[in-house]
Formats: sequence, C-alpha cells, structure tokens
Amino acid sequence: MIIQKKAIARRSLLRGFGAGLALPLLDAMVPAMTALAATPAAPVRRLGFVYIPMGATIAQWTPPELGRMTRLSPTLNSLTPYLNQLTVISNLELKNAYSPGNHATANCSFLSAAKAKLTEGTDYELATTVDQIAAQHIGKDSPLPSMELAMDLLSTIGSCDNGYSCVYQNNLSWSSPTTPLPAEAHPRLVFERLFGDGGSAAERRAEMRKNASILDWVSADIARLQGQLGFQDRTKLNEYLESVREVERRIQKAEKQSTDGEMPDLDRPIGVPASYAEHAKLMFDLQVLAMQGDVTRVISFQLAREASTRVYPEAGVTDPHHPLTHHSGDPEKMARVAKINAYHVSLFAYFLGKLNATKEGNGTLLDNSLLLCGSGMGNPDVHDHVNLPIVVAGGAAGNLKGGRHIKYDQPTPLANLHLTLLDKVGVHLDAFADSQGKISELLKPAAL
Amino acid sequence: MKLAYVLFGCVISALAQPPATRAMFNRYCIGCHSEQARAGGVSLQNSFSPTVSERAVRQLSHRHMPPLGLPRPDDATYKLVVNELTATLDATAARHPQAGRPGTFRRLNRLEYHNAIRDLLAVEYNVTSLLPADETSHGFDNIAVENLSPILIERYLSAAQKISRLALGSPVRKPSSELIMIPPDLTQEEHVPGLPHGTRGGAIATHNFPVNAQYEIQVRLSRDRDERVEGLDVAHQVELTLDGTRLGLFTVTPTPRGQDHQNVDKHLTVKLAVKAGPHQLGVSFPRKTAALLETGRQPYQAHFNMDRHPRVQPALYSITVLGPFDAVGSGDSPSRRRLFVCGEQTDACAKQILSTVLRRAYRRPIHADDLTAPLEFYRKAKAEGGFDNGIEMALRALLVNPQFLFRIEKDPANANKSPYQLSGPELASRLSFFLWSTIPDDTLLDLAEQDKLKDPAVIEQQVRRMLADPRSESLVTNFAAQWLYLRNLAAITPDPRLFPDFDENLRQSMQRETELFFASVLREDQPATTLLKAPYTFLNERLARHYGIPHIYGSRFRRVDLTGQPSRGGLLSHASILTVTSYATRTSPVIRGKWILANILGTPPSAPPPAVPELKEAVRTPGAKMLSMRERVAEHRKNPACAGCHNLMDPIGFAFENYDAVGRWRSTDGGAPVDASGLLPDGTKFQNAAELNQALLLRPELFVSALTEKLLIYALGRGIERYDAPAIRKIVRDAEKNQYRFSSLLLGIATSTPFTMRQSQ
Repeated sequence: MIIQKKAIARRSLLRGFGAGLALPLLDAMVPAMTALAATPAAPVRRLGFVYIPMGATIAQWTPPELGRMTRLSPTLNSLTPYLNQLTVISNLELKNAYSPGNHATANCSFLSAAKAKLTEGTDYELATTVDQIAAQHIGKDSPLPSMELAMDLLSTIGSCDNGYSCVYQNNLSWSSPTTPLPAEAHPRLVFERLFGDGGSAAERRAEMRKNASILDWVSADIARLQGQLGFQDRTKLNEYLESVREVERRIQKAEKQSTDGEMPDLDRPIGVPASYAEHAKLMFDLQVLAMQGDVTRVISFQLAREASTRVYPEAGVTDPHHPLTHHSGDPEKMARVAKINAYHVSLFAYFLGKLNATKEGNGTLLDNSLLLCGSGMGNPDVHDHVNLPIVVAGGAAGNLKGGRHIKYDQPTPLANLHLTLLDKVGVHLDAFADSQGKISELLKPAAL
Repeated sequence: MKLAYVLFGCVISALAQPPATRAMFNRYCIGCHSEQARAGGVSLQNSFSPTVSERAVRQLSHRHMPPLGLPRPDDATYKLVVNELTATLDATAARHPQAGRPGTFRRLNRLEYHNAIRDLLAVEYNVTSLLPADETSHGFDNIAVENLSPILIERYLSAAQKISRLALGSPVRKPSSELIMIPPDLTQEEHVPGLPHGTRGGAIATHNFPVNAQYEIQVRLSRDRDERVEGLDVAHQVELTLDGTRLGLFTVTPTPRGQDHQNVDKHLTVKLAVKAGPHQLGVSFPRKTAALLETGRQPYQAHFNMDRHPRVQPALYSITVLGPFDAVGSGDSPSRRRLFVCGEQTDACAKQILSTVLRRAYRRPIHADDLTAPLEFYRKAKAEGGFDNGIEMALRALLVNPQFLFRIEKDPANANKSPYQLSGPELASRLSFFLWSTIPDDTLLDLAEQDKLKDPAVIEQQVRRMLADPRSESLVTNFAAQWLYLRNLAAITPDPRLFPDFDENLRQSMQRETELFFASVLREDQPATTLLKAPYTFLNERLARHYGIPHIYGSRFRRVDLTGQPSRGGLLSHASILTVTSYATRTSPVIRGKWILANILGTPPSAPPPAVPELKEAVRTPGAKMLSMRERVAEHRKNPACAGCHNLMDPIGFAFENYDAVGRWRSTDGGAPVDASGLLPDGTKFQNAAELNQALLLRPELFVSALTEKLLIYALGRGIERYDAPAIRKIVRDAEKNQYRFSSLLLGIATSTPFTMRQSQ
C-alpha cells in the first residue's frame, strides 16, 4: 500500500512538468501500474472518445429498431459482434457548435459542448472538455492522466475556418478553457510516451537490472559523501538517497511483474505506416496497450480532422471526403459518404475487438471501459449539429445496458451524455455545458 | 537590537556617521524616517544597520529618495553622502569579508548537462526530450538546482543509457526514427542561410547517426487545413542534401482536381549508407521564379496560413531519419576518438580511458578508489559483451553518479563559520560554468591540480583564453538570453489580426539581432555601455524591412551602420526586447518600464498588491474619444496603492511608445500622435527614447552595476545579498578605469570575493 501511495506522488511530479513536454516514461513504471489495475477490488472504469469527422449519412447509420436491437444499420454493421455491449443514441445535438466556422466548432464542441470564442489569435477560449474532467478524477492514479491522439501529421496555426483559430479544428481535448492539448499522430512518439524504449520482457528485465546496479553504486557513493559533510548538507543527501531508494523500489517491483509475465513484449513502432488503415489500427493497438498496462485511463482519438480531404480507397471511395460531404442530397454521393462512415466505424470495431480479447480480472478490458464514438456534425451538407451520429460501447463494469437504440423525439443535448459518462466514472456534476439532465436509459441504476 | 549590531562590529552609530551624511539625513530624510514615523520601516534618526545603509546607498544613488516633489539635495551632496556611506561599508567589508554560500550540491541544469555531454563525449544529444526544464529563480535557471527527485533520477538513467550507447556507437537493437519538425509558422518563400544558393525554403539540421549503417531519410511537405500540400499549384523540385552533397532531386506535382494529396510527397525518400557521427541534413527547393506574387492587396512577407497569408510555394514540414539498417559497426565517430585515448582492448587501456573520462566528468583529480566501481562495471559487462560493452556500461554508470550530476563544493576540514578560499578544482568549475556553461577543459583542470588558480594573473589569463574560445558563446545564448528575456520570444505570438506579418522568420531574426549585437560587444571587448548606445546593429533583409531600413537584401545577417537612423541603435531599440515587453495586442509602458528598472537600472519594483483590475482594452464607441495608452495607464496611477511603483515604471515605459508591440517605429497610435515623453526616477525629463538613452548614459555606473549584479547572480548560482554590494562596487570601480570594457567586468567577477571564496558552515 505504501508503494501505491508513492507511485501516486510520482504522478503529481510528472504533472508538474507541464503539458508541453513529451514524457518518455521509465519503462520500469509500466508493469508496476499493472498490478494496481489488476487488483480485483477496484474495477477500473476507462473512458475513450473516438471522433469521426463531418457527420454521417444518418439514414444509413440509424438502426431500424427502437429500444432493444437485434440487428444494426448498414453503417454500423461491423459492430454486430459487440451488439450487446453497445447503445446507439439518436437525435442528440450540439447547440453551441453553430458558428460561422462549423468545421472548427463541430470538432471542439464534441467533447466540450461549449461555444468557441471567435478568434484566430492566441486568445482562444473554449471550456474544459469531458475527457479532461474525467482525467482529473480517474486519471490521477495512472502515469499519464490522459492521452490525446490523432491521425493527421499536421500542425497548422493561425486562422483555419472563417476566423476560427486552427486550435479549434486540431484539438478535441482541452484541459482548461484556454489550454488545448495537442494530439499526437506519430506512433513511435506515442509509444515512447507510454513505454519508453520498450523491448521484449527479457530485454526490459536486463535493462532494469543494469539500472538497479547503477543505483546501488549511486547510493554507496552518496553514503560515502555523507561522512564528509555538515548537518544541513547531510540532510540534503538524505533526500537524494530517499529518491534513489524510491526508484530502486519501483525497479524491483517492475522486475518482478515482468518476470511474472503480466506485460507482453513491447515492440516499438518505427515510423508512420504507409496506409491509413494500418496507421489507424496501430494507433488503436497502442491505446489497447496503454489501457492494458494502465498507463492511462482516458483517451481521445480523432480518426480524421474536420474538413479533411482524405480519400479512402480502402473503402472504395476515391473522392476526397470534405467535398463529397457537400452532396446536395445526391443519393449517389450520400452513399459514398456512408461508405466512409462505415469504414471509420469498422476501425472502431477493430478497437472493440482488441479490447474484448484482452483479459482483465474476471472479464475483459472492454467490460471495464466506456467508449463514445461519433461526430460533432450531423448533416455535413448543411453543416448542422443535430441528429448526431453517436454510439456508446463497452461494459462500464457491467453497468451498460447494451443492445439498445435510444431515440429522442426532440433534439437533446449531447452534453446530457457527457454528464452521464462523468457520473459513471465518479464525477458527479449538476450540469455540463448546456446539459438538461442525464440519459437514464443508458446505464443500469447504481447497485446499492 | 542595537547590541546585536555592535557584536557584529558594524553598527553605524550616530557618532560614527560622517558629517555630510548626518547633516543631509537630518535635513531631508528624518521627516519621514524618524524613530516615530519609520516610513517603509526605516528610521535614519539615530544609528542604523549596514542593511539599512546599503538600502540608503541604493535609494540615493538612483535618486529615488527623497521622493520627487519634496525638497532634494543637490547632486554634489548626493554624491558626497553616497561616497561617505559606501566608504564605511566597503572598509568594513574589507576587514570582514563575507563570501556568501552557494549550495553545496548544485545539479547541472539541462543546458549544462547538454554541454557537459558534448564536451565529455563529443556527442550532440537533444536532451530537451529527455530532461525537464529547470525552474527559474532570481532571473536565471541555474539557481534552483539543489533537488533530485525520483523522476529526475529516472530521466538521468534513461539519458545515460541512450547517451552511452550513442557515444560508443553500440549495435542498435531495433531501428528507430527521429523526427525533425519545422515550426509551422516558418515562411519558406526565401533563401535559408546555410542551404545552397538559388534555393528557397526548407531547413538545415544536424543529426547524429549512431553507427555506420543504412538510413532512410523521408521528407514531408507542409499541408493546409484541408490536408493539401500548400502552394503546390505547379510542379516544384525538392533537393535533399547530406553535408552539402546532393542525395536526391525530386519533383512534386499537383494532383488532378478532386484527388487528395496523400501521396504527393511519398516518393521524397532516400536510403543510403551514412558513417557514424553528426551530419548536416538539408532540404531545400530550387527557386522557380523571382517574380512577385500577384495579389489584390499588399503582399505580406509572412506566408504560412491558408486563410490569411497562404504559402505561395510548397514548404517543408518534417524530415524523418529511419534506421540504422544493416549496421556495419561503430566506425570512427568523433565520440569514439574523444573517448578512446588508447587503442588496445586491454584492461590497462580501459583503466586509462575511464580515468580520463572520470577526471573530466568529476572535474577533479581521480584517486584509485574512484576507479574501483567503474572498473567493476566495465569488467562485468566486458565478460558479457566485449570491450566496448564494458566501456559503455562504465560510462552509463558514471553519467548517473552524483559527482557528475552535481557541482559539489565542500567546506574544508578546518573551516569554522568563516569565508574560505575555494580549492583549485572548485574554482576551475566555477570559471567554466560561468564563462562556458560546461565542464572545465583539461587546461583548466591541469592548472587547478597544480594549484595555480590562486594567482589572479593566472585567472586573468584563463578568462581571456576562455573568452576567445567558441564555448563562451554561452554568455550570449545562455546569460544574455535570460537577462534580456530573449528566451521568452519563442512563446510570443502577437495578435495575427493586428500583426499579420509576424512569423517564425521574424521571431528568429529578432533574436539573432540581439544575440549578434551582444556577442559583438563581448567579442570586441567594447565598453558595456555600448549595449545601450551603439551606432550599429545586425540585420538581414527581413528585419531591415521590419525596421524600415533600406538596401539590406538577403537572408544573411550583416553588421549595419546606423548613421542617419536615429530610431535604432542599442538594446533598447531592438524589436526582440520591445516585443517581449509587450502584450499580444498592444504595447505596455508598464512592462517596458518595469523591464528597464529591473534589468537596466537594477532597481526592480516590488510585486503588485493583490486583486488589481486589468486595464480595459480600447473600445471605439462612435463619437467617443478613444483613451490613449497614456490616459489609460494614468487610471491606475490614481490609486495610491499602485502609484508608489507605477510612478517609477510608467513614465520610463512611455519613452518607447514610438515602438509598437512588435518593435516597429510609429509616430501615431490609434490616430493620435505618439507622446513619448516621460521621467526617470531621478527627475530627469525626456521627450523620447533617444533622450532617455542619453539620460541613462549620463550615469553609466548605474547600468554597469545592474549588469554586474546579473552577471554575478548567474556566475554564483545564487541571489545577491546585501553583503555582496561592496564586491559589486569594487568590480564596477575597477572596470571604470577600463571604460567598463566587458572583459573588465568578467575579470572583476572572476577575481572577486564572492566568486573565489565561500562561507563555511
């Protein structure tokens, strides 16, 4: 128990270095954290957010049945194996996303449900996003409170959408109203942030032993110095020695975990895979590893940016996405948009499959997670923000009422869903942005 | 209380006070500073402590007291009283020197660590990705460095592993990738210094190739928000060079309408064999045309944003180096040459290698027992993986040893709460970290071991030698960059609507001007006062156009004569400093005034009281007269709680109102003519920045003292205390005989009591 507390103290130190610095963690830390997560007494609830840009052809997205679902829609078909672990919610809206720069605000309102200040300067202002509020709560016990990922190696600055700063279009997650968190798209950088150099379990063990032997010598040298110094300086050396011992304890613990085979070999990716599909799957693989090692509990992932002109030959669509979404109701074009939607959803299905295949405690990673996949735009042809495509998946530790389609008669704030998710991870707020209440149908009532 | 001062032997009693001081205090001061009134907690009525005396010296030297508007003595009286007071203080200091006590353990900060690795192992390693930035204290980041947290230890372990591997050129388990990113707001329409003539844009970067092997180099072009390669309307060529030799010339062509740009730059990749060591990678675009862009409005010089000022031609986004593949050994890299002082793979040679590197790393003579553990690491690892593996492991271990990571200054055995002379090796480290921001070289270590650094003549000779060495560039990039706030420039982005022509190129140019200018004063050993007033500066075309100075063409910086350019010359007219002391939307006379007080005059105002409202931004309501900056600032000088300091700060800051928030000259602000008149705390009135400069130079000792204090803080790694004042006065007095030449300040510090001595506990 003492060791756990120490590990938490280390976390707060890490946070102190600021968000700007990519932090390659000492590899040894990872398995130590695994042990914490695997404690059966504390089921971990994780939150994941996956963003699909530019809405959807909603007719193809919406499942045919209301309430209990036996089958999914054409667009969501790839999710069928997890039917009982997902809920489709129709007719949610983002009132605050309406703006002169709808692409920018569709993206940034998705997790904030807030109105972006119209500026192309550095005086941008939004709100703390739902993932970051959760991260402050459930992320504080993991080495990284949250991770922000994207697919585009793109860093634009200045104005991006009719006077809206590029930060709105680039960043889903904001840790404060004025702090957008840049997302990382490079798999190697993501990996190193999570696991340092990685390597096979045996290689990592060998490195740990070397570090342990170095620290032995450091301790001995500090002890030797102590004999030659006055009282105050000895106190200082004691502090150093305590720090060294703390790292030694972590290494011992990590070494034991790696011997017990609790973490797989960690193979560091080299570059960015050539194909979009491989890149996206690799990014999902990294998320699974991060969750498995309990390196982080909150992840946001942008599958593509708003206004992206990417083509998806993998899905049989060679038209650039953004122009295609301005389909003017042309059924041919709408069908192609639906193909892109189905393709993005199939990547999400890949993620669910991996989580479902990874054991944790008595269940799987999927059982202990809550994942939201969707868009901040409804009909991309008119840039609206109502009837948003939204799916919630996972188990929420057995609490999600899966296999259901909730459809609201009247447009209902997406913020209601955010409020519900926060409630489920233990952040009990009265309201979130423009929320009007919680979505009671989503989760089973809390057991007494 | 009084008794305590007497015990310290330095109470200045009423009787002992020199006559002029007493007379002046009685006439001008004790109205407020009486035993009863004690304004500011100070009484000058009877006796007072050296601390109060030093405060009085500062207030009187700067003519801050008595406050403007009250009766003041004439200048001669001021000087006389200051001389009397300092004579007493300095005499006491000479009898009882106080050296101060920087921490026993001072960790190398991130930059010092980087430089130490460079000089120890001839390895350029980008440590910013491995180590956290250091906290700033007293204006510098080498002060608050006495900590060693678990996270830091983890980082040092990780860095030691990577660096020792790189130094030896050890076989790499698995190829990796290094990503070199170009700042997104870098305009790439013009030539970049260092890249071939006839090209424009791109970047040049030094990359450390770990082993002799195959590497793959990939180039990616910058995209706009629609993920299309910006400025790619017609075909362009891209050239990739290694150490100036062409590796490939590629053509990128726009795709037909309706297709995306995913694959436009996929072919910009080269795989080739590279020898271990640092090499320069260059990417550039052969220039297509010198024709101007045809636009409906005046073209900007900044081109990086699709909406506001789009790129005209494609630009570099990143260079990726993948590898090593098919490694063929460690080769003969600079780091191996530095490390392997002998050639045989024997234990005797290993001992020689390790004792050489250990002496440099610990910065002191090495004893037999220092070698025990490193040799043990060597032997064990050698048994597992050969000679190189043994050296690598010993190196890895010593890079985490506190005797490398910390500068340790130990009290001598016989010291007893008194100042003592630093040992030779300790002094060698103080010199090298002061002038070079790195470990001492062998020459310094040799002199230290021979105990020759006691001799001020030897120190002088060494200081001059060290200043001539390129490593002294750290006085520019480390000391001056912190003193003048240049480091803040990277984080400054003026409002793009108001200053659409600001980009990374301008930011870099601003910084470069000030660095080159400071370096010229240092290298040419000019008077320190030249920093304030110089008939020259350094410009490239971009900055010259920003300043409105004609006939400067090209990306190269050159020395420019400023005759006939009254608005430029000296640090206080540099766009860098004028920008870092402004807000994103407007100038701030308050920040600028405070900057002058703190960094040029050495009299920083105290912190503002809590809960001060912000100045309202100017809102132009129809018909209403817009408040000028001066009028708006005047608002908070009406508040007596604010006025005390703002009466000092604001009137100085007004001098620079002719320079806008990015340092351009202007004669009007918001439609009204600029009023740049103001007042120095000593009552000197001025009409503009040039007159302020003249006023500052009338009493150069004030500026030189401020600069000396900053240098001393940086040199000692501790804040300045009251008892340092006599040493600072001595340095400034001695330098005056040399027209305040820069070297005389550095020499004065290097031979001063606080620098060569330390207080024992």
